[in-house]
Amino acid sequence: MAKIESAFFDISTLDRLASRDNPLNRLDPRVKVVTTLLFIVAVVSSGKYEVSALLPFFLFPCALIAVADLPLDYLLKKLLIAAPFALLVGVFNPFFDPAPQLQLNGFTVSGGWLSFTSIMLRFTLTVSAALILVATTSFTGVCLALERLGAPRVFVLQLLFLYRYLFVLIDEGARLNRALTLRSFNGRGRSLKVLGSLLGQLLLRTLDRAQRIHMAMLCRGFDGEVRMSRQLHIGGREVLFAAGWACAFLLFRTCHLPQSLGLLIERLME
Amino acid sequence: MSHHIVAVQDLHYTYADGTPAVQGISFRIEHGESVAIVGANGAGKSTLLRHLNGYLTPQHGTVQIGDFALSKELLPQVRRTVGMLFQDPDDQLFMPTVRDDVAFGPLNLGLPPDEVEDRVTAALQRVGAEHLADRPPYRLSSGEKRTVAIATILSMQPQILVMDEPSSGLDPAARRRLIELLASFHHTRIIATHDLDLVLDLCTRTIVIHQGKVMADRPTLEIFDDADLLRRSHLEAPLRLQSCPICTKRLPPHRDPEAHHHDDLVEPHSHA
Repeated sequence: MAKIESAFFDISTLDRLASRDNPLNRLDPRVKVVTTLLFIVAVVSSGKYEVSALLPFFLFPCALIAVADLPLDYLLKKLLIAAPFALLVGVFNPFFDPAPQLQLNGFTVSGGWLSFTSIMLRFTLTVSAALILVATTSFTGVCLALERLGAPRVFVLQLLFLYRYLFVLIDEGARLNRALTLRSFNGRGRSLKVLGSLLGQLLLRTLDRAQRIHMAMLCRGFDGEVRMSRQLHIGGREVLFAAGWACAFLLFRTCHLPQSLGLLIERLME
Repeated sequence: MSHHIVAVQDLHYTYADGTPAVQGISFRIEHGESVAIVGANGAGKSTLLRHLNGYLTPQHGTVQIGDFALSKELLPQVRRTVGMLFQDPDDQLFMPTVRDDVAFGPLNLGLPPDEVEDRVTAALQRVGAEHLADRPPYRLSSGEKRTVAIATILSMQPQILVMDEPSSGLDPAARRRLIELLASFHHTRIIATHDLDLVLDLCTRTIVIHQGKVMADRPTLEIFDDADLLRRSHLEAPLRLQSCPICTKRLPPHRDPEAHHHDDLVEPHSHA
């Protein structure tokens, strides 16, 4: 539990990074959200066996990290936390797809290994893009942008509350768990039945709290819309940012740049 | 100035599971009064408070806030008039940053952005929490959370403040700051609490509730002098009004209760 707690509490580091002042953080959140979405679509829609064609896409996260001066080790650590999920998705590919796809200096690489590598690359690209988005925009900024972009209000509200009460919920769960640990000896008292009632407790407490929060919101005139007094502004820099990157993604996606580069070098060598 | 009164007339409320929480409570609180509502656990305090902001509607009897009786149509008015401080500030601070939270109410009132900004700044200044404006609420200490929660209410500019256990979970210094802050307000104040020392500092009048009924409604000092009443309603005189545990050991065991004088209690005494 302690590990999960500390991993979650680290989320506030992202918030701190987002509150710094740099050209990227100052951009309108909507533009960053849209650009990141375009990036993810471009990366995910690449072919199953693409590996080298994905490499140019690393320019996007690398450039943003450089501009916003984000701590690389922190982002890598976050990537590692999420990595098991991607590993699980791709780990069986080498067994199910042993058909040779590529000859590399005498080595035969199977389709399974290619698609596995591709999955890991795509995971790294998309998750780091999402992390960078939050680290330069803040979670609240992302929610606000989603709302202004026309995402359903209920959905945005849920996200905001999830973010606000995640810590309270973890606290509550950790307290229950601590109380259980203190009174269970030699593994006794840790049965599934006890766990069930523990979760039930947590649910009931959460419902109670939800009711109190709703009451607090009503007290201050809540009518279904969350208003925030942030001024958003799309100017020349925003348009340039989005258009520039969109063109770049289109280029990466349609032309196989590493291949062209290889051909160019080959021709120069001749 | 009749519009800051709170009048409850023969209020009854029974929960859906059949628990009778409030059984005929009546009182009238005038403009500018500071009133404590005390009582044992489960006496009906919370249910009563939920009526004062219109979260519950009376099943029987009336609740009058200002010039109008509480009804569905007038709820927005009532909620603007009554500022409610919750027992757990985590329930009350639900926005991503303190500033957003303080601005939440004024924005819902539909005020123009610069007036919202003014109100937020004024409310935060009033409670001395300007430096917390951009912090997320979950990173605050209990005392800071309570202070900010008060700011979220002040930004609505209510005339009546209703508080549920304002001093719970605070360390002594934070509690003292809270008392000083509350004492500086001129609103009509209604404080439900178990902290009777706080009542002694802040409220001139006390309403004792026991098993859903008003047991007593008198000046605070009179109530705290009535040992019998306190015992029957599961209460105890504030610690400051109880005799000093070190002195009583040296004094003869039986003291004449009539000789008891509030003045000597305030005087500093040494145990040397």
